Amino acid sequence: MAPQPGFDTEQIKDKARRDLLHLLEGVRGKKNLVIEEKLAGPLGVIVKASTLREYDVDKIFFLENKNTDTSNRNVVFIARGESARNAHAIADQITRLQREAQTPLEFHVFWVPRRTLLSDKILEEAGVLGDTNVAELPLYFFPLDKDVLSLELEDSFRDLYLAKDPTPVFLLARALMGIQQKHGLFPRIVGKGDNAKRVSDLLLRMRQELLAGEDVGEADKVGLSPSTSTESIIIIDREVDFVTPLLTQLTYEGLIDELFGIQNNQTDVDSTIVGAAPQPGAQGGSTATPAATDGQTRKRKIQLDGSDKLFAQLRDTNFAVVGTQLHKIARRLQSDFDSRHSSKTTAELREFVQKLPGYQAEQQSLKIHTGLTEEIMKYTQTELFTKLLEVQQNLAAGADPSSQFDAIEELIARDTPLPQVLRLMCVYSCISGGIKSKELDHFRRLILQGYGYQHLLTLHNLERLQMFLSRSSPLASMIPMSGSAGATGNKTNYTYLRKQLRLIVDEVNEEDPNDIAYVYSGYAPLSVRLVQCILQKQYLLSLTRGNGVASAAGSAGSGAQGWRGFDDAVKHARGQTFDEVQKGEDKAVKARALLSGGGEQKTVFVVFVGGISFTEIAALRFIAKQEEARRKIVICTTSIISGNRMMDAAIEKESFEKRNPQASAAATASPTTATR
Amino acid sequence: MDVAHPTAGWEQLGPSFYRKVQLYTQVFDQDLDLDNYIVAGAPYSGAIALYRDEGKLVAYQPTRISKPSIDIYSCAGGEPILSIPWDNGSIKGLGWSEDEKLLVVTADGTVRCYFDLQGEFTQFSLGNGAEDSGVKSCRFYAHGLVALLNNNSLISVSSYSEPRPKLLAPPPEGQVHSWSLIPPSFTNSRSVEVLLSIGQTIYVSDATACEDRGLDQGPFTHITVSPNGKFVALYTKAGRVHVINSTFEENLSEHDSKSKIPPKYVEWCGKDAVVIAWEDEVHLVGPYGSSAKFYYDSGRVHLLPDYDGVRIIANDRCDFLQKVPEDTEEVFKLGSDSPASILLDAVEQLEMQSPKADDNVQLIRPHLVEAVDKCVNAAGQEFSEHWQKQLLKAASFGKSVLDIYNSDDFVDMCETLRVLNAVRNYKIGLPLSYEQYQRLSPSGLIARLLNRHEYLLALRITAYLRLPTDKIYVHWASTKVRLGSEDDDTTCRKIVEKLSGKPGISFEAIARAAYEEGRGRLATELLNHEPRAGRQVPLLLSMEEDELALDKAIESGDTDLIYFVLHQLRRKLPLASFFRVINSRPTATALVEAAAHEGDGDGHEDTAMLKDLYYQDDRRIDGAAVFVREALRQPENRTAVDKLALAAKLLADNAKENAFEIGAVREAGLLLRMQEGFDRDLGDHFTGLSVNQTMFKLWRLGYNGRAKKIQGEFKVPERVSWWVRLQALVAKRDWNEIEEIAKQRKSPIGWEPFFNQCLQAGNPRLAAVFVPKCTGLEHGATIMMYEKCGMRVRAAEEAVKLKDGESWARLLEAAGRGTNEGREIERIGGAVFGDRR
Repeated sequence: MAPQPGFDTEQIKDKARRDLLHLLEGVRGKKNLVIEEKLAGPLGVIVKASTLREYDVDKIFFLENKNTDTSNRNVVFIARGESARNAHAIADQITRLQREAQTPLEFHVFWVPRRTLLSDKILEEAGVLGDTNVAELPLYFFPLDKDVLSLELEDSFRDLYLAKDPTPVFLLARALMGIQQKHGLFPRIVGKGDNAKRVSDLLLRMRQELLAGEDVGEADKVGLSPSTSTESIIIIDREVDFVTPLLTQLTYEGLIDELFGIQNNQTDVDSTIVGAAPQPGAQGGSTATPAATDGQTRKRKIQLDGSDKLFAQLRDTNFAVVGTQLHKIARRLQSDFDSRHSSKTTAELREFVQKLPGYQAEQQSLKIHTGLTEEIMKYTQTELFTKLLEVQQNLAAGADPSSQFDAIEELIARDTPLPQVLRLMCVYSCISGGIKSKELDHFRRLILQGYGYQHLLTLHNLERLQMFLSRSSPLASMIPMSGSAGATGNKTNYTYLRKQLRLIVDEVNEEDPNDIAYVYSGYAPLSVRLVQCILQKQYLLSLTRGNGVASAAGSAGSGAQGWRGFDDAVKHARGQTFDEVQKGEDKAVKARALLSGGGEQKTVFVVFVGGISFTEIAALRFIAKQEEARRKIVICTTSIISGNRMMDAAIEKESFEKRNPQASAAATASPTTATR
Repeated sequence: MDVAHPTAGWEQLGPSFYRKVQLYTQVFDQDLDLDNYIVAGAPYSGAIALYRDEGKLVAYQPTRISKPSIDIYSCAGGEPILSIPWDNGSIKGLGWSEDEKLLVVTADGTVRCYFDLQGEFTQFSLGNGAEDSGVKSCRFYAHGLVALLNNNSLISVSSYSEPRPKLLAPPPEGQVHSWSLIPPSFTNSRSVEVLLSIGQTIYVSDATACEDRGLDQGPFTHITVSPNGKFVALYTKAGRVHVINSTFEENLSEHDSKSKIPPKYVEWCGKDAVVIAWEDEVHLVGPYGSSAKFYYDSGRVHLLPDYDGVRIIANDRCDFLQKVPEDTEEVFKLGSDSPASILLDAVEQLEMQSPKADDNVQLIRPHLVEAVDKCVNAAGQEFSEHWQKQLLKAASFGKSVLDIYNSDDFVDMCETLRVLNAVRNYKIGLPLSYEQYQRLSPSGLIARLLNRHEYLLALRITAYLRLPTDKIYVHWASTKVRLGSEDDDTTCRKIVEKLSGKPGISFEAIARAAYEEGRGRLATELLNHEPRAGRQVPLLLSMEEDELALDKAIESGDTDLIYFVLHQLRRKLPLASFFRVINSRPTATALVEAAAHEGDGDGHEDTAMLKDLYYQDDRRIDGAAVFVREALRQPENRTAVDKLALAAKLLADNAKENAFEIGAVREAGLLLRMQEGFDRDLGDHFTGLSVNQTMFKLWRLGYNGRAKKIQGEFKVPERVSWWVRLQALVAKRDWNEIEEIAKQRKSPIGWEPFFNQCLQAGNPRLAAVFVPKCTGLEHGATIMMYEKCGMRVRAAEEAVKLKDGESWARLLEAAGRGTNEGREIERIGGAVFGDRR
């Protein structure tokens, strides 16, 4: 049997591109492309707009805009197949276009990542299925970087925790199954949280179904024996740790996300901050988004990924040191550039000229990041930011929540942006296991009076998310109170875990970090600590020694796997805990593993169900760096998340306003906008 | 030796040889007059369909049933595999797909696709006007067909599983003398291309355009495209054959058949030669004008073109005409001195125990590997078992002499030949050539055997070739369910007994067969053995086992399946029963909620449904939320207030628990009403602002009384209202009012905010007023505060008061010693701090 190929995210990207272009090639002649808006960004990660042009794509429309025209014979829709709404929208447009068109049109629908029974049914009921060529475009994971795979399901957080719609869990399991089929079974599945457990159950079930499936030819056998190149998969449910993403991210990339928002590796920044794009297409041309969106605004798209060397160096550092880093880089660039004066021979000169484009690119990127850094600095120096951060860190460090009450009241009175305030209150509620009902009512009144009564719905959503609720609420019952190791598994007990897993590290070195706590300047993300419980037992034990867990230390020798040694601590986090071993039936597998094992770098998949924040990615990369010799860490997730995006899932967008659009301009005047 | 030498039937055609291999004899009954029949053969030596040509008169024969039927035979003839009685109208197209589906196209454009050889079929219509104009004729390729209508329209179907008949670009008017197609796999456009002979020339039509190829030798009575899609043979009325490449750029060769009678068939034999057949005469035309002739004395022959040759069907025989494969030619050609041929001779010498055997081997020693390979390959090409054995013996002998030889090919070939010989048997009647078998693939072969119900042979072959057997078992069981006469229990027990423990068995497929046969109970029983929950769902749905289907869908975790079941149930059940089904299943309820919330294509929430759902499930707060959302969408305040009242009413049922929510909803209504009043009275826009924003705006515009009223009405906390007021006043630049406030003794938010806000708003003078009022500041903060206001002298005084020499010195430095300010600072502090420089 051929050795199982090692895992590489580049393969996934290549396959995705090939699949898409192959389908496009199948549609003959010029074509109009109609893309679901939420899919445009992810597709941009895979294929450039210019490439699409080469495949005879004439115009690109957004499905939601309903402005597709009949200028080309072929109309190709690309949308997610899981959403009934997309199917309805496509059916409507096909009917409309058929009515408008002078000559018959050809319709093609590429469902991502799969064709669903539901979408077929909807198209059939609309009477357009017979006139449409339906194909599947199996794009599950979008590789955001060399070590990050994301399903890029923007709404996955909302779907999973608010709507309780398990579609993202299913798609994630499907995507992981795809990896297993190619690279062999994950020898061990460890994880925490109910949704994580569901993913694990689905993986086991899918394996059984594959075994029971038809056509188990030799080729599929790879997928049914344990992999020799993978060590394990660690699945963490977002629900286990809501607090971490709610805190303000303090790494460079995290702050860019907090301030400007990063979507599919791109951020929109006002061009006054970073300068106008040098030439169209030279820097930010790698998007598949229609040109119509840029141009009229002065926003500029900045590509943020590992291909920008400078950014790769800065992204995961604490923002406190980014300024000095940029200085150093600027100086180095200058001295490199100045070296041209010292080059004497023509050979030296030629060498310099060859490097010149590299310098220019670096210069360009230096300019962008200096601009961004200055803008972020402006924000971090505001009184508001300082105040927010202070309250957050006090709460995280375990200060009495009531002492932060006044500060929160003031922030509301000063009309601080709603998501920021809600994040604070959710941290408050999550850390102290719910809020006393009197305080809760007071908070709720403050929010409703400060931001409008429509947020009654927002508060209701937050309660359903179990992020902001009363201690007496039925949803919050059975919350283990401070330190007591009584009831477990219903709610993450931060008070207990703060000590057990040492979430607060006071003497953190931001310049040359010694612990993952550097990402939040002193708070170590619980979610990543849990990963360390599995991957870095020794380190974590040495860190927490003397905190009363030493008793468990004996059993957690270097050979221990899964949760061993930390079972007790893990019990105090929310949701089910599991540890499955996938064995092959084949005895030869063991022999092979023995032969190939040892010394080699093995892959560990760290999966976050419900989203991961950039800060957590930074922390995981920090661990990856330490484990480099033995392991390669690949991060998989349903989407990238931040506190603001979590709040976005809950916040009611409509208001009692906007019914008189002509007068609304005057009505938007609010205290903050007025004072600035 | 009594076996004919392989070269016996060879004909030389230019530089290459062609051979006619007799596959079977006694194919059809002598009574059957082939001349009266239309014959179509499936690719890769598949089944043959016969249908009586409606254009021919037939003598009445009392012994034969005169009812029209389509009869399907194997290549070996004998008894038909299947006879389909036909009374569905005139057949205009009869053809096969690559996977042996029989396609029957009638004049009105109905297409029947017989997907097994047992008479099961699916049916679809060509549409696009076929019904009115009528189908004239059809051409078939691997997975699709093109139909030519009487009005010269062309309709293409590219898949039988999801037929989407599509019009191709219309060719010009005029009589179509003949036509043909190039399958999509060979065209640049990846769409099927149709060649039509109209007038003197050829038109090529594809999905988008119809082009004239500009020929002038026409009209052509036959057009044929070679199996590799690269060449086209055109036969003119005058009896000339032109071979050109399929892009019509190059004329490759020409041949004059010297016949006035139009031939019945013009087909390709492989990719190098064209076969022309009249009633009983067959011409083979090769490149460079070479040709050969064959005569059949038994009457009419039919040609069935295949990928690598042509099958010739006559009553008494079935022949295969093909180019002699290269390796075979090398081994057998008379006078050949190739190593392979010498090796074959050596093994014959060996049999005669002649020492020449060794001489031969020594002679070709350097080329022995090549010789062995050639013998193995040539064996594959042989239809005669004798020569297969002989060649394999030679190969075996050759490799025994070699020190190192990879025997994989040899072993594979032995296995392949065993399989080929087994299916070539006249009882099976699949005379596959090696080439055809490679293209058909072993699993394709198994599928064909299953269609013929040859389960035992199929099982033997899969076991022999180590292939999965699940499909065979499933097919067997499905047939048993359909045709078996035992009662349900026995059948189920028998099937489970035989199939349990075997991997990959799809009980769902068997259950479906049972259900389609009307054996519902058996279907349910069988379905219980299906390990894949998801697979059971669609069948359970069609069996009306709704709740079971929903449970299985949820079990599978696949939300698409759950949505699909819910969608069906919603259509089918009354709302109350629908709710009853989902209430006990949280996942289902959540998905129904999510779908209703997301709404249709325009995003309109299905509020009616949600209200009902929440009401019957007693979820008051969720129900009230729907009303609040509706209120937000109301175009007028009045209706919005009404909706809010409805929400409050819903909540009031449990007033104690929902006290906060009720209060909030009432306040929302109150605010809206008050804002409406302000809008009207003050001529400004207030609706939509929050309580704080409303207060802010009122203060800002100077309606202090109204602002106070709001504060009181909504019990806004002191601290909040002070903050809002401060910000409003700063925004208004109402410094007098702020100074007025400064006269008060106490502020609930302290005085620091006043200092900061005034300073930020650019009024350091006023800001300074608040410095002394601030309490609880850090030691020395006042110095900084005054300094920020630009009042260095006051700051210096403060420094003196606090005995902070350093700050004083710094202030002095900042002011400059020469200036008035500097002197003043020096004056204040000089006495206390002395002369510090």
